Amino acid sequence: MYSEKIEQNGGTLTSTPTVCLGCYNCCGVKVQTVNDKVVDVIGDKEAINSRGYICAKGRARFLDLYDPTRVLYPMKRGNPEKGIGIDPQWQRITWDEAFDTIIPKLKAVREKDPRGLVIAHFDLPGYGISKTFGAAFETNNFHWNRADYCGAAPHWAHLMTNASFNGELDFDQCKFMVLWGTQLGHLAETIPLHTAAEMAEARRQGTKLVVIDPFCTNPAAKADQWIPIKPGTDGAMALAMLNYMINDLGIYDREFLTRRTNSIYLIKPDGHYLRDAATNKPMVWDRTSRSAHPFNAEELTDPALEGAFEIDGVVCQTAFNALKEHLKQFDMASASEITTVPVEIMQTLTREFAEAAQIGATIGVDGELLPFRPAAIHFKRGSGAHKSGALGSFSIHLLNIMVGNLDVPGGQRGVNPIGPFWEPDVDEDGMIVVAQHIAKYSKPYPAQKAKIPESLDLHELLPASLFTRGLYPMGIDNPEKFGLTYKPEVLLIGRTNPMMNSHNAEAMAETLKKFDMQISFATFIDETAEFADILLPDAHDFERWDLFPANDPYAFIAPGPGQWYWHMRQPSLEAPGETRAWTEVYIDIAERLGILEKFNELGEAGWGIAEKHKLDRSKRHSVKEIAERQAKSLIGDDFTFEDVKDTSCLITREKTTAEAYPGGFVEGRMPVYLEHLIDAGEDLKTVIDELGLEWDFRPYHPLVSHIHCDEHDHADNDYDLLIVNFKVPFQTQTISQQNIWLDEVSRANPYTFNVMMHPSAAARKGLDDGDRVLVQSHHGQDEGTLKVTEIIHPECLGIPATLGHWARNLHVAAKKGTSFNTLLPPPNIKRIDTLSGQIDTCVRVKVSKLSGGRSDG
Amino acid sequence: MAKYGMIVDIKKCIGCNACTIACKVEHNTPNEMHYTQVLEHETGEFPNAKRTFLPALCNHCENPPCVPVCPTKASYTREDGIVLIDHDRCIGCGACILACPYDQRARVEDDRTVFHDGETVFVNNANAAPPKGVAAKCDFCYHRVDQGDVPACVETCPTTARIFGEWEGAEKPLRELAAEYDAEGLLPEKGTEPNVLYIE
Repeated sequence: MYSEKIEQNGGTLTSTPTVCLGCYNCCGVKVQTVNDKVVDVIGDKEAINSRGYICAKGRARFLDLYDPTRVLYPMKRGNPEKGIGIDPQWQRITWDEAFDTIIPKLKAVREKDPRGLVIAHFDLPGYGISKTFGAAFETNNFHWNRADYCGAAPHWAHLMTNASFNGELDFDQCKFMVLWGTQLGHLAETIPLHTAAEMAEARRQGTKLVVIDPFCTNPAAKADQWIPIKPGTDGAMALAMLNYMINDLGIYDREFLTRRTNSIYLIKPDGHYLRDAATNKPMVWDRTSRSAHPFNAEELTDPALEGAFEIDGVVCQTAFNALKEHLKQFDMASASEITTVPVEIMQTLTREFAEAAQIGATIGVDGELLPFRPAAIHFKRGSGAHKSGALGSFSIHLLNIMVGNLDVPGGQRGVNPIGPFWEPDVDEDGMIVVAQHIAKYSKPYPAQKAKIPESLDLHELLPASLFTRGLYPMGIDNPEKFGLTYKPEVLLIGRTNPMMNSHNAEAMAETLKKFDMQISFATFIDETAEFADILLPDAHDFERWDLFPANDPYAFIAPGPGQWYWHMRQPSLEAPGETRAWTEVYIDIAERLGILEKFNELGEAGWGIAEKHKLDRSKRHSVKEIAERQAKSLIGDDFTFEDVKDTSCLITREKTTAEAYPGGFVEGRMPVYLEHLIDAGEDLKTVIDELGLEWDFRPYHPLVSHIHCDEHDHADNDYDLLIVNFKVPFQTQTISQQNIWLDEVSRANPYTFNVMMHPSAAARKGLDDGDRVLVQSHHGQDEGTLKVTEIIHPECLGIPATLGHWARNLHVAAKKGTSFNTLLPPPNIKRIDTLSGQIDTCVRVKVSKLSGGRSDG
Repeated sequence: MAKYGMIVDIKKCIGCNACTIACKVEHNTPNEMHYTQVLEHETGEFPNAKRTFLPALCNHCENPPCVPVCPTKASYTREDGIVLIDHDRCIGCGACILACPYDQRARVEDDRTVFHDGETVFVNNANAAPPKGVAAKCDFCYHRVDQGDVPACVETCPTTARIFGEWEGAEKPLRELAAEYDAEGLLPEKGTEPNVLYIE
């Protein structure tokens, strides 16, 4: 960008700092406009998340503003019939006509049972508006999206231990990194530009990187070692590694386990903690006095980490002892059979990791002596999105816990468990409880009381989970089955595309048809918007304000040492045609429904607005007005919009050492033994029995285990490959494929629009590179172009996410790549992790050659 | 005069193609045309197979095969080593395209960025696109370099895998970095002496 040349061309350059919404992350960018037209988007050098860098998606996406298929006016459906491939026969209407249709219906639903309204989107900075609207409307169904897709299980493991939503690594000091089913640091995970910069520098400085993944993803390509694994077996590998590390190598951080975990708590033969009769506190064995004491008793001097002890005639063992003995069943040879990873590779990895952690080492940070553990494992969706999701993720994380590397220099870290106005709690049992600011949804610990569901996501049946958003279709399809006393009636949806992001499209179509009225906000008419009755033209994020901070929640602030910073999203140009930001339309709807005052009242409580900046509750405030009050409350009374003229990033202060490295400072203990699941399971069983449901109670056990994915056990000669998906760094979710520049890059890439098969499988099937193929599961099918390659596990078919559009208006995106999700069945008990709500993505497919297939793609 | 060059750190490149798009926007290159792209290769067999990323661009060679073959002297080397094409002189004969051993030149068949409907054209009123019918390629963002800035791909790269600068004399001369990591140019047998070197 060079302003002189622009001026020569008769233009004026304007640069507006804002926050990119090209994915769920919050990178600071500057939108460059000339004569009210965006000509470039560059990184904001003052934004800590992005440091002046920008990814391919962020740079390219301004073209979407000018795409000829952009929705510019409200429309209504002319064709009452809904279905895949059916023309909705859109008819242009006015906003007033749209409201005249929407408002009476919403009023009727609210009078009958407000829970009949379901709100769906995945637009994180908009949660503050939609959640408040949902509460004012009195529906509890205001969170349908696929945030669970990557993280219902991994987030669960991080919340239970780091007291944080996400995990990360101390790139600066870690010397041995393992990425397990994730692409952290390769522009496909959280805070991508920050992590990409730090990960690359760490590798350049000699940090060893090991990547465990069925496909040789971008990080696996960069790794010192790629370990291909059979999908869904990650927990089995972790359990064998734990056994080898603890029982064979004898390497574990005794001091950490004693101080920061429930390893020392005594366990009765019935599996529960031994509790003090007077205080009800869990008891530990004191080796000095040879007697049991409450864990927090002052007279406790030398707690036993291992062993079994007789107390009042009952033999109790420490939780760590129980785990250690339990792990002995998980031998390397059996794990190798399950995972296909050779024993020697697993053993070497375990040994190298455990030794690299340098148990016992310390480092001085700002005058504090902290543990130093320069080895860490990060895990996410690849290892988590399986039947054994939560316990599989937790088994992997136990490897971190055993070396005591959590939230200390060099180690694995949670993303900001302690912040400027939040910190984890400690419960009566001494266990860590995530801060409310972080667990905005619900806390997996302590477990909730199970009850007959009131929400369509059936959250009440997963009382020890974080969120269960992927289960909405179960509740929507069969409310009576789960004891729900109402039916879904209106779907208010935008910026999420369940037709493509969940499971088989035909099945999802039936789910969408259950609603009397679907109101879709859209910039493009995607597969889900094609089912709308009313289509509302949505503004692009370059055309709107958002609540402040736009990087809410805390998860989009880089963890570790640094500063606390907060982003303001602001518009760079006017919204075209009759498009409007969906958040503003929600407020309009609240006003027209007569619930504006309640919306303002609830909002004030949830938006962090200080007393002196409070709203006039009777008035309609714009999102900008609310954001200004939020900014004054958070940044200071003297905040003005002048402060965000040059950068969207507002810094409040440096982090303290405790905020940067909480591991040495927080007091709550993390579990190695999930005692609370015993009672949670028993409590749940009464509700499940009352409903007469089948359920899987295997995860409700205090000791980790591996549960096979359902389709692993099927012997089926035709359906002989397991599908596995992964992101590519220049496409994101279902929203970027219509971009002609990203499409060019994707077409030039050897993998993006293909399905990947190992030569041995291709030879067995008589298939060749470049063949058009039909990919069929027992639940759905799609076509694809075959790429025969050595960089895929021989038992897998690799399918990049999330491709294979078919919407009639998405001319660029349609028929490019293959849809992974349409091969999955709708969620059912056999295919969900009944602890976390994570949905299993392991599906068997058969692949056959298409004769005279399409020439495109 | 100081000569410019680029070192591409293959170890740091993660194949994200942020450079590809940055270049596309900076030069307003038309549909299907790129001055830089990340090429991918596979070697070896499962489970020891390798996948590599190679950012490719004009090598701004000391001995550029594209320059002497140009009948109109449109292709030339600036004093600072940047190889350019004068689009006013270029007649699009394609001799340079054939001469480049790195396949880094192409003829502009359509000078527009056109959306899928074939009618809607994105007009960038900041940067003029290369005109139809000429040869085009990476120009090391000379317009930025002349203002003391680095090329767009360098500024954008999230992993700082591209390092641009002067070979000699600068505070951190590229020559030192090249020596430290045994930098190599592509296709040394062609004798082109590229000013884009790669380190691993």
